[in-house]
Amino acid sequence: MNNTAAEAPPKPASLVQLALVIGSIALTSFGGGQKASIRKSVVRQRSWISEDDFLEGLELAQIMPGPNLTNLVVYVGHRVRGWAGALTAFLAVSIPPFAIILAVGAIYFRIKDIPLVHSALLGCAAGAIGLTLANALEMTGDQLVWPVSIVFVAVTAVAVSWFKVPLWAVLLILGPICIGLHRLRKAPPAESKA
Amino acid sequence: MSALYWQLVSVFSSLSVLGFGGGKGIIPQLHQDAVMKYQWVTSAQFTEFYTIGKLVPGPTTIMAALIGYAAGGPVAAAVATAAMFVPAALVMYTATVWWRKLPQSAMKSAVVGGLAPVIVGLMWSSVLSVGKGVPQTIPAFAIIGVVALLSLRTKLQAPALILGAGAAGLVLIR
Repeated sequence: MNNTAAEAPPKPASLVQLALVIGSIALTSFGGGQKASIRKSVVRQRSWISEDDFLEGLELAQIMPGPNLTNLVVYVGHRVRGWAGALTAFLAVSIPPFAIILAVGAIYFRIKDIPLVHSALLGCAAGAIGLTLANALEMTGDQLVWPVSIVFVAVTAVAVSWFKVPLWAVLLILGPICIGLHRLRKAPPAESKA
Repeated sequence: MSALYWQLVSVFSSLSVLGFGGGKGIIPQLHQDAVMKYQWVTSAQFTEFYTIGKLVPGPTTIMAALIGYAAGGPVAAAVATAAMFVPAALVMYTATVWWRKLPQSAMKSAVVGGLAPVIVGLMWSSVLSVGKGVPQTIPAFAIIGVVALLSLRTKLQAPALILGAGAAGLVLIR
């Protein structure tokens, strides 16, 4: 069944609806998959924005600094209801995680020094480090298609961890070099031109 | 006290606008600022806050709330969180309004593809930064390795792996 709603006119959304839809996605945003649920909610089910607009927003969200999900909902909110929509979407995606982490934090500060809890927390922390390591390994694997980039991976890590070069300097110096080399390598764009 | 708020705002808002690659790359600088420079938290706390940030819904950088809280209570938590997320959202908002006039796919290729090696390097530095927060013992390394392997080879999600690692910690870490 192809139920493409491409022809259906977008239904107007209220700020409350926007807040509820985005807030509920924020509350279930573990790991990946949130982009798919935003797409399902605002493009497929409600036709608030078109598929093309959504993909454009996703691209922009990945380019700009900040969490992809937060950026994406700011875009969606703006497309749906202008500045008020963007503000509503931003608050709806930010406040639930803030409230939850404060609640978890309150429990943490209360129980962290109990010996058994301390052991469990160290285990959890080792788990989080393991997840980050997996992430680093996976992302490094993606870079192997062009081995020169591994040099820049290593230079960045050494500059930051060993020489304590500040993040802004790393981005300002290594960023343009990497972007320039990437452009040279991609000189004729991968996508076929007419 | 208000000096603390300014410090929080300057640290978190500058990280906010430098958070390319979804914000993953800011952890080493945040560690440098929050642990080494301002000493709002210890290295062990930093890693525990990072862990809680991964455990709850939302971006890991929501750990800004806990760093703020440790530094100066609930108001500081709100200040740090706002400084972490509002500047990047304003940049995104401005870009959303002006976007149709920009060379989109060229920018995407340049920023996302071009910056990728730097972001990956920052991920390795993140591993080292948060790694300082646990004792360098064989049980800790074993948990780190097993979780990394399970994360790469299975569909298990972050919260399940972290809680499982906590159970392992109960048994293995004294």
